[in-house]
Amino acid sequence: MEKILRSKEMAEIVLLPVRHHSPACSYHVRKVIETYRPSVVLIEGPENANELIPVMVHRDTQAPFAVYYSYYDKTGQLSEEKEHYKCYYPFLDYSPELAALRTADELGICASFMDLSYGNILAASEEGMGLRKKEEKNNYNDDHLLSRNAFVKRLCEKANLRSFDEFWEKYFEIGGIYKDSDAWFSDLLLYCSQVRENTPEDVIRDEGSLAREAHMSETILQTAAGNFFKTEFASGVKEKLSEIQKSSDAPLRILAVTGGFHTPALSVRLRENSDPILTDSDGKTSCLSADMYSAPDKKKTPKKIKSQEQNVYLMPYSMEAADALNGYASGMPYPAFYQKVWERFSEDTDNCYRLTVLDFLVGCGKEVRRKEGSLSTYDEICAVQMADGLSSLRGKAQPGAYELFDAVLSSYVKGEYTIATDTPMQILRKNMTGNAIGKLCDQAMVPPIVQDFEAQCRQFSLKTGSTLETEATLSLFSSDRHRRESCFFHRMLFLNTCYARRVKGPNLQQQKDRNLIREIWRYKWNTQVNAALIDVSVYGATIEEAAGSLVKEEMKKEIGAGACAILLTKVFEMGLKEQLQSVYDIAQMLIQQDTDFYSLADALSHLKMMRELSSLYQSKLDLDLPMQLAIRKLISLLPSMTIVKEEDLGRCMDAIKLLYQLTKEEAQEEFFDILLRMQRDAQIQAGLDGCIHGILYGGGREDGAVVERACLGYVQGTKEQMKKTALFFRGLFFSARDLIFIGGQILHMLDTFLQQTDTADFMELLPELRMAFTYFTPREIDKIAEKAAALHGRSGKDIMNLREVPPDWYAYGKKLDIYIAGLIK
Amino acid sequence: MKESIKPPVEIRYQKELMALEAADTAKKPRNWRLSPQAVRTFILGSPKPLTYQGESISIRKKYFGNDALIERCIVTLAGNRGLMLVGEPGTAKTMLSEFLSAAISGVSTNTIQGTAGTTEDMIKYSWNYALLLAKGPSREALVPSPLYVGMERGILTRFEEITRTPAEIQDSLISVLSDKVLNVPELGDDGFLFAKPGFNVIGTANTRDKGVNEMSSALKRRFNFETVMPVREVSLEKQIILNEVGELAKENGIDMTPDEEAAELLASTYHELREGISSYGHRIDKPSAVMSTAEAVSVYYQTMISGYYYGDSSMDMDCLVQNLVGAVSKENKDDLQKVKEYFSTVIKDKSSKEGGLWKKYYEARKWLK
Repeated sequence: MEKILRSKEMAEIVLLPVRHHSPACSYHVRKVIETYRPSVVLIEGPENANELIPVMVHRDTQAPFAVYYSYYDKTGQLSEEKEHYKCYYPFLDYSPELAALRTADELGICASFMDLSYGNILAASEEGMGLRKKEEKNNYNDDHLLSRNAFVKRLCEKANLRSFDEFWEKYFEIGGIYKDSDAWFSDLLLYCSQVRENTPEDVIRDEGSLAREAHMSETILQTAAGNFFKTEFASGVKEKLSEIQKSSDAPLRILAVTGGFHTPALSVRLRENSDPILTDSDGKTSCLSADMYSAPDKKKTPKKIKSQEQNVYLMPYSMEAADALNGYASGMPYPAFYQKVWERFSEDTDNCYRLTVLDFLVGCGKEVRRKEGSLSTYDEICAVQMADGLSSLRGKAQPGAYELFDAVLSSYVKGEYTIATDTPMQILRKNMTGNAIGKLCDQAMVPPIVQDFEAQCRQFSLKTGSTLETEATLSLFSSDRHRRESCFFHRMLFLNTCYARRVKGPNLQQQKDRNLIREIWRYKWNTQVNAALIDVSVYGATIEEAAGSLVKEEMKKEIGAGACAILLTKVFEMGLKEQLQSVYDIAQMLIQQDTDFYSLADALSHLKMMRELSSLYQSKLDLDLPMQLAIRKLISLLPSMTIVKEEDLGRCMDAIKLLYQLTKEEAQEEFFDILLRMQRDAQIQAGLDGCIHGILYGGGREDGAVVERACLGYVQGTKEQMKKTALFFRGLFFSARDLIFIGGQILHMLDTFLQQTDTADFMELLPELRMAFTYFTPREIDKIAEKAAALHGRSGKDIMNLREVPPDWYAYGKKLDIYIAGLIK
Repeated sequence: MKESIKPPVEIRYQKELMALEAADTAKKPRNWRLSPQAVRTFILGSPKPLTYQGESISIRKKYFGNDALIERCIVTLAGNRGLMLVGEPGTAKTMLSEFLSAAISGVSTNTIQGTAGTTEDMIKYSWNYALLLAKGPSREALVPSPLYVGMERGILTRFEEITRTPAEIQDSLISVLSDKVLNVPELGDDGFLFAKPGFNVIGTANTRDKGVNEMSSALKRRFNFETVMPVREVSLEKQIILNEVGELAKENGIDMTPDEEAAELLASTYHELREGISSYGHRIDKPSAVMSTAEAVSVYYQTMISGYYYGDSSMDMDCLVQNLVGAVSKENKDDLQKVKEYFSTVIKDKSSKEGGLWKKYYEARKWLK
């Protein structure tokens, strides 16, 4: 605890360093507030969330929840790209900041956040640093500066501990239970000062820490001077503080709760900017060099971002998202474990860790038994003994998370530790992360996008109260209301809200079930849907707006013509008329630029499908133009596809078939000429060769005899060429399967080919042959079989009399399949 | 003790063990020579030297890689279950079990060496038939096995290569481990041997070798398993090579200091071939031969001996590569080709960028044939 007394106004300032998400820290913060009884508690946190504090401390609000900050840089104040920014400030029951807010509320003490608003933190940070890192989820309370640097690494090595988290647990969590609060905070301050001294100054500056510290110290000083109305406190807090000041002569007691990394710097700044009669609790920090902590921010004064341009909401959060191990680095890992420790704190402080470890050992044991069935109670006893033994060997008063891991690894994992025997560890990790989801009280402000969602649910009579999945069947083309409802579901799907899933209906992206005229959706609302909506609220105030902005974001990415055409189908389904034209324009531009054959073929096939569906979907887009463009580009790229890779053969054949269908209107002769030229290349891939022969035969440019000669060429070729016959047949049957029924030559050649193939080669070629025959209908296959039988003097009926495969063989095969699939996993 | 190639751990580190015992103030499990804390210090070392009989004795780190594993092993041995060390060959399982036995019981030689020919009487007890015929069944005529000795004296019994023993023979351990009693029916009422506190079993088992048997799940339940992984850091592997070779040289009177650069070179070769990726990021075809640290130590030591007796007491790269060939081309003829390719890509790049010994190492590739 760092105490600073100010002489003039006689306000007393106490700085409390904390680590985000720490049960011991929350416990001591609570104790300090209860005993010290400050006039106001100032907490590190963007001040534009001040209005949310009453909801955060409301008894119906359950952690985990997060403050969601967003800012859309419409005018390009931060960068020319005019980006959308968002970040989270998660709170768990054992977050010291939440403990401080809750305790202050219980005791009737004013509390407020005091950091720069989110937008201004962004303005003070360098691009790609701090909250401007290009990450999916930026966390306000990312404490990587406290836990990841060379000093911390050396410290862990010296203490024989695996990681900073284990170091923290040993000395500050388990060890911290038995310390008094003053000593605990002094230790933390000492640690933080050391870390700060070992962190390069430019990193601190570029992450915006100096600007934030300047602002926080300014807020503290203004509060100490009684200038409450110059601060950004909530209006109620300002008035209450004025009253306290007027009604009492006693000095104002300010308790400032900040991340430990900032506390030493704040201390120096406050001393410099005030005229303090200084008292330290221990005087240890007096040796700190002032330059190190309050160096002027060399960056030119950043622009001020107005609060009105920023959004801030409270949203339910999940334990999974709060787990530091998921890459968000917002404090300690294993939130469910420490939540349990926190709950046990009040019951039995001296044994809270031991009992929690026991809970998790038993819970994990139960699940392992259920899944694998081989764990005995004695294994659990041994695990408890292991955890206790390790804690005493490692000099810990109680076993913690790391002893728990070791105990499970040692006692529950039987045999060599590999992926196959990892189940107990997986279960433990999952249990230690937990799956709890927070809840907000009814008074929580509903963001516009959620309001829009609720309004639309009402409009379409969709249930939001039920936790069961409900089904909706929509007649897409006969009811306008159903079409609009479908757009709503598609938008929700596109926004990744996990609200609805389509179980049946036309799938335009995969070009499946296009003949269906109805869509069946299953939808279910839960708090996570609202959280996901808040998550995208930075993109717009309504679902339509957010989906539209996200489409624009997608278009900014480097995508090919194919991906753009798929996006166009999504926009089509979502009914985003405004975006349709711009995605269409981009698609056209990308078709012009794209040189990837497959991407262009993808684009063409999607455009073709959309043209076919345009009357059904009442679209007025002129798709002929981009299609012609794509056709021309594909034809020009076609000659380079002669030596296609075997894995790309299917896609290449699809593209050629598509071109054949679409060039019927014009340019077909040019297309055929190119195909003929490709054929002349001796290196042509056999499958492609077959496919081209089939197409040319179908188009009347080649007669059956030419095809048969080509086929014979393979059958009678050298061994390696002969082996390619199967591939040739695959290509041929893909584009002209009727050839096998005309005359008997093709079948005869196939028969000769099979006769001259030995068993080993046949087994090698079998997959390809199977592929070749997938293009026939079962009836056609029967017909071919009959003809083949006739070649060997047997009638079709003879071969039908096959031995019946008993049902239990199938059952056995299926079981074997599942078993092998399990092993492969 | 008579002169030997490799004296047991308790002799090699006699002074360290005595110093630790004298300074040990922590609680000891019954019949343990050292407390768990002191056992940990013996294996993982201590930065502070101990003073014993006026002499300053430093406790060197003897096991590298995973400190938590050592702690788990110690706690397991103090409990009711046996300890089973499993892992690839050459990951120092045997060495670890020797350290644990020497530190806990003061003796590392109470060992059953498991083979396909191990029988139940080698595990439990057998008879001196002359005495048996002369005097009838008596304790005097009984030839105790290491397991019997462990139970009788309250010390650890090491069971090496347990999975090479047929599964039904392995299972003779089951009741002994759970009941901690061995019945010798021939001795009548006196035939019950109750295990003294301090008794436990450390088993070691290979997982990659040919000719190993599965363990029954009943036996598995009597053990806590610890998987010993190969060392994952080149710097640690280099340190192990230097330490081990230094010890071997000292024991065999070879007056030659191990060359750090050569050790680093060998450690990185072994490490990269094992992991399949070089420090520069090249993708490497992994040989099927076991590329263990123990193999690296042996290659280094052979090269050192050649240099000492037949050369100029320096590490000759030609000799090193020759020994490397011998170590790698054992099981599969393709392995040598893989090492050749490793030299023609990774070592070639390293020789041009790092120069020095790497260059000589690359030049010695002519022996890869």
